[in-house]
Amino acid sequence: MAANWAERISAFSRRPSGFLSGTTAEAFLAELLRELRDDRATYSVKILLLSPLCEHPTLVCCSDSVGEETALELMSVFAQCPPKSVQFRCHLLLALTSVLICTSCVKSHSRASLDFLDVLLQIAQDTSDIHTDGSQRPLRAIACECLRELEACCPSLLSQRLELLGGLWQQETSRLHQAYAELYTLVLRNAIYQLTQETGAGAEHLKALLGGNTSAAWEADQESGLASSKDSAILSSLILGPMGTVPTLHTGPDCKELRSVLSTLLDESYLLTPLCQATLLHRLTEVVAMVPGVPPAIFRTHLLRLLGTSEVSLLHVTLLLKCAFTDSLFSSEDEAFILKRLVVLSQHLLLSTPEKLFYMDCILHFPENRPISCGDGDETLPVLLTPQLASALVPTVFNDSATLLARFNMLSLVYLEEGEEGQGGQGLAYLYEHLNSLLSMVENGCGRELVVTFFRAAFLFLYYFCHVERYSNDLTKQLCQLYLNHTKLAPHFINLADQTQDRLSESSWSVGLLKALQRVITEAPLTQLTSHDLSRHLKMLARVAEEGEIIQQSTLTFLSSIITPSSSSLCTGGDWCLGNEILRVCRHLLVHPSLDSLLTPLADVLQLLVCHYADMEIQDHARLYYTLLTTLSREKLAGVLAQGMEEGGRQDKKQSLSCLIGEGLTSTLTIQQTERAVFRLIEAPPEPRAGDINSNEVQKGPEEASASMEAYRDQFSDSSFASEITLQYQLVHINSHDSHFDQLFSIRLHFSLTDHHYEELGDISVPCLLRERPSAIVQLTLKPRKPYPTSLHASAIFTSPDGHTWHTTLPDIHVAFQQTFLPLPVPSNWGPGGTLSVFEGLWDEICSESGDSAMSLFCCQLKEAALNTLVEKHFLPFLISDASHKEEFKVLFFLPPRSHILLKVSSEEDAVHFNIATDNWELLSHINSYLLKITSLQEDTLS
Amino acid sequence: MTVRGLWIISHENGGNLSIRFSRRFSTVEHRAKSLAGSSYVAVPEESTFLQLLLTELGLSDSGKNYVALRDDCLYRPRSPALELHVDGPAKGILWPVLTVSQGPLILACLPLVDVPPDPRPPLASLLSVSQGLTLLAGLQTFLLGSGSKPDSEGLGSRLAMVPSVLLQVCPLGTPLDVPLPGTPATPTAPTSVGTQKQPAWKTGLHRGRAVVNVGLIETVRSMQYGNRSRQDLWDVYGTVTCKCEVEGVLPNVTVTLSLPPNGSPLQDILVHPCVTSLDSSILTASSVDNYDGSAFSGPYKFPFSPPLEPFRLCSYTSEVPVPPILGSYQLKEEENQLRVSVTLKLHESIKNSFEFCNAHLPFFNRDQMGVVDMKVSSGQLDVSKEKNLLVWVLGQKFPKSREVTMEGKINFSGPTPGPSDPLCTKLTAYVKLHFKVPDMTLSGCYVDQHSVQVYSSAKPRIVTSRELQSKEYYIWNSTGTAPVSSGQMMM
Repeated sequence: MAANWAERISAFSRRPSGFLSGTTAEAFLAELLRELRDDRATYSVKILLLSPLCEHPTLVCCSDSVGEETALELMSVFAQCPPKSVQFRCHLLLALTSVLICTSCVKSHSRASLDFLDVLLQIAQDTSDIHTDGSQRPLRAIACECLRELEACCPSLLSQRLELLGGLWQQETSRLHQAYAELYTLVLRNAIYQLTQETGAGAEHLKALLGGNTSAAWEADQESGLASSKDSAILSSLILGPMGTVPTLHTGPDCKELRSVLSTLLDESYLLTPLCQATLLHRLTEVVAMVPGVPPAIFRTHLLRLLGTSEVSLLHVTLLLKCAFTDSLFSSEDEAFILKRLVVLSQHLLLSTPEKLFYMDCILHFPENRPISCGDGDETLPVLLTPQLASALVPTVFNDSATLLARFNMLSLVYLEEGEEGQGGQGLAYLYEHLNSLLSMVENGCGRELVVTFFRAAFLFLYYFCHVERYSNDLTKQLCQLYLNHTKLAPHFINLADQTQDRLSESSWSVGLLKALQRVITEAPLTQLTSHDLSRHLKMLARVAEEGEIIQQSTLTFLSSIITPSSSSLCTGGDWCLGNEILRVCRHLLVHPSLDSLLTPLADVLQLLVCHYADMEIQDHARLYYTLLTTLSREKLAGVLAQGMEEGGRQDKKQSLSCLIGEGLTSTLTIQQTERAVFRLIEAPPEPRAGDINSNEVQKGPEEASASMEAYRDQFSDSSFASEITLQYQLVHINSHDSHFDQLFSIRLHFSLTDHHYEELGDISVPCLLRERPSAIVQLTLKPRKPYPTSLHASAIFTSPDGHTWHTTLPDIHVAFQQTFLPLPVPSNWGPGGTLSVFEGLWDEICSESGDSAMSLFCCQLKEAALNTLVEKHFLPFLISDASHKEEFKVLFFLPPRSHILLKVSSEEDAVHFNIATDNWELLSHINSYLLKITSLQEDTLS
Repeated sequence: MTVRGLWIISHENGGNLSIRFSRRFSTVEHRAKSLAGSSYVAVPEESTFLQLLLTELGLSDSGKNYVALRDDCLYRPRSPALELHVDGPAKGILWPVLTVSQGPLILACLPLVDVPPDPRPPLASLLSVSQGLTLLAGLQTFLLGSGSKPDSEGLGSRLAMVPSVLLQVCPLGTPLDVPLPGTPATPTAPTSVGTQKQPAWKTGLHRGRAVVNVGLIETVRSMQYGNRSRQDLWDVYGTVTCKCEVEGVLPNVTVTLSLPPNGSPLQDILVHPCVTSLDSSILTASSVDNYDGSAFSGPYKFPFSPPLEPFRLCSYTSEVPVPPILGSYQLKEEENQLRVSVTLKLHESIKNSFEFCNAHLPFFNRDQMGVVDMKVSSGQLDVSKEKNLLVWVLGQKFPKSREVTMEGKINFSGPTPGPSDPLCTKLTAYVKLHFKVPDMTLSGCYVDQHSVQVYSSAKPRIVTSRELQSKEYYIWNSTGTAPVSSGQMMM
């Protein structure tokens, strides 16, 4: 069981959504809680069980009230847990904290959260183990941590306990004093923040806060404070740099109490771990920033220790101190010293790469005492960072990629500022030389990471120094050479061209590079060209062809020379991929602004493809382009291809090859599948079958019953006679509001059978289906082999207004037994006498024959009136006897192709008798259930 | 000052990278949601997170030459924090994801952004970033050991201890400490009932004889080009490691570093956080400054209260006038063979007594070595043909002349190509020196046994030691082009 839980819990934390799709959150939570209460489960398993509650409380507890209940459950588990299972109790506290905070129970001051707060405060104050073994200390530490988290998530929750917490912190001499110090500082910081939000709060309020003697008036304020603390501002760091504003509390110079508290905290900060020290100093910085009555100089005695530290978080918090207090704490010498220190640290051998990168970032966001620009998050160089100083950070080939690029970026900024003269020029020359040494490493075939680094460095160089033509032109030259030797780098080149074009819109460097690449590709001898090279060249030329400014003649000459059968075997090889890449170039040329001058050579190339390329599809495609080129005007051509170009232009480089084929046409040619059914067929209300036989002009049928039978039977010599039933349906939208499908056109309905009782159906076309118009009527003609009830599958293809074609599945259509009934198919001029004689003839035959024929009796309780209604409602079209003749109704259902069901319905003393005769005994069960259904309906309505 | 989540990723039995441990801090996530407001991006599920992270690190799709998302040339000024581009319904950019990686291990965490998220704040404004880095580095040391060679054998068992380690150092997403290397500390016996508070970083109290051990190691690096147009470079940095077994809750110890007369001042001094106070003059000298003759040159006093475990008290750099060994390396390409000439000269101020001294001569981008015809004036030569490597073992002493030479020819006629390197092509080649000299420092810096002061009842035993070692000590072939390694020379 334990192993099972381990597996399940790990499955949950790997993929909570997937796990919960196999069960429900409620069930899972119930299981967890049950197992937590189970005495047989070990504590290590129980600790595991708590992890979903710790890590994903809102997924497991899907509402606040469930969270509240869960918390109450967990607290009772906690209460019953023996004190010696410290680890489990610790984890329980963590789970409770997570559940209560995340389900907003703490924010709404729910009962469970208040109880929990009491439990935590109790544990935090319980120092009874101090003289024994100290075994409960981890629990106390966790309780403090939970209190701190509660206060962090719901600021000012503990403001009223400030004095208590301060006392605990001061008394504690074990390592736990750190936990109390952290908790106390946070509560102090939040309480002071809250005071800054009160109008008129001042020195006395502060004093009262620290002394713990909170007056009633202040408590009222506290309430309003809680309301406003919903604002997340109080959660934010208050050290925001020159542009940030800090709420302040005006106390005047008299805040001795606060000062003494802060001094003690600062003096003892040395006893905390560096991480906690940094947090504490950050909180104290915020406090001092909020209370102008306390001078920042209070930190001064600690600065040297902090500035000399090897701990990244301690130096960082010192920078934040500088950010908050600038020249009121740091002189300009200090500033120069700190900057030098950062430069040293950015390249210090003993530090890790991420730390060094972080220090470099700190240089670029250096909190200057007097910043020139308004640090809006952009990288700016501190004034004091001279080229001399920065030269310690020049990139070298020995750097790892991230360091190399960060240094390249920073030094570029430095030299850009210096200009091209003097030191800036020298530095720039160095950077370019460095770029070249990277390039030669790429040239020598280095690994992928270095290749990417080189292109990123090249982009950076261009980003800053594109305007320095002696370098940017030389770089183009070098890159072309590199490309020829390493064509597999084509995607990198295209990416570099794209990005420089996007980011450096004023510069034409990117076009220049593409032009140069076009030249080297088209001028290189074809003899050594491998198919790999060719494929990359074609990709590159396709990109070149996107540039309207670049003349494309040489591209066309190149294309024509590679496909001319006499000079190349490409055509006879008929490589499909290469063919498509050629077509892609052609396609870009079709919309090139200089198309007029390209007309003939382009037509020639397409013609060559049509005639000689050994792949049919390429030929067809080329033919299409050729036709478009030769028959459409330029505007139309551009129009036809424009959509595809927009979608497929610069982006299609990133798509797979198959997307390039057909390009813009693909989406319109592909049939897409709807996610759910869009419309369905419902049975149309029956049209009144007016009068039927009676209204017709009545002629007498054959006099003799036998003659009638004969005439009736003769009709069936034509096998198609009365072999079909026609059902009326309405095509209607399914009521989901997808406006995309409000208007549908060219709907083609397709049906398929679910059994063998009917002939296959033909497709049905409906011109349109508009949501605001009446629904379309669809006639479904069924040709039964056996007249049984059935279901039909239905699907449809249609077009949406945007021209896309869709395939959709409709809900199944159910054909009921009675839908297959037809009136007796006799010539329309037969009178009732004729039909009656056929009825009698059939009845007699069935009575005398055996074989497939069968007789049956169905009885039911029906009042006379009910019977009349039933006949009128269900049998009228099939009634053979006169409707006024109420002793016995004779009813005949004809079921294509050849079956008959005859009914003689009469009211006997005890019940209504339905005498049934049929020439197809297999229909008996169906007619039986049909009669059962209609008669029971009748009973219901009348009873 | 908190992290939203923590991930530990490593190779699964030599196979794919996978997440071996992850922890989300739900209450921090709760805060992240209310702090970020509409720009909040939720942390994706494990597999998505891993895939996005590997793409950003350039580790995904290793079989493919170019992947647009991974290899885009656009430089995003973001290191050491990555952006993960989360797709799907919870679309957005997850930032700042911090990572550290070493050996088989990648560790990542996502610090909470506790300042307004728009426009994106600089990393430097988020204290949680440096704290996250510290936490990750601490976990890395815990999992792999602090030695130079990561011990990946015990990785599995130490990974299993991570949950209980986190319960102590980061129970709710706020890092409180870094894990102690080795087994998690069991709660120690009640320590003091006095008024002196025990430092939170001190796991217990020492009982027994007081011993203070101070070790000073200097490391020298060098790039020698043997070329007039290029200045040779070398630098020295030292670290002082202490192990103090001293009684008391907060005992005071002072270690003093001294320089010989006329020694150049120690620069870039970094100290351990247990150092209680520093004199401002100690910090003034910096390697990025112009040398000021009037700078303070010691003695350097470091008063501190030691933790129980060994720790690095301080580190420094120093500018020394000459490299300990000056070398020259010349290669000449002759019809299918290479003429090699190496000279090494030990400076007269260096004690001629090595623990070891070896010179490595690797040859890249050539066929395997065939005939090796080399003569050395001292020591012995090991030839490793399959690695195309010559190792010249110089032993414990240079000859009296303090100069050794190696001359000869190598024929690269082996049947298969040797190792390759993108940097060392054609005549770009180097000799790399590995040596260690006990009981000396290049800067002359030393810790006098008598200068170590311990303020405690019992008289402690004090042990000091020092040594010089080499690292990245290169002598480049002067007939080829050598890569630039530092910008110091150009100004």
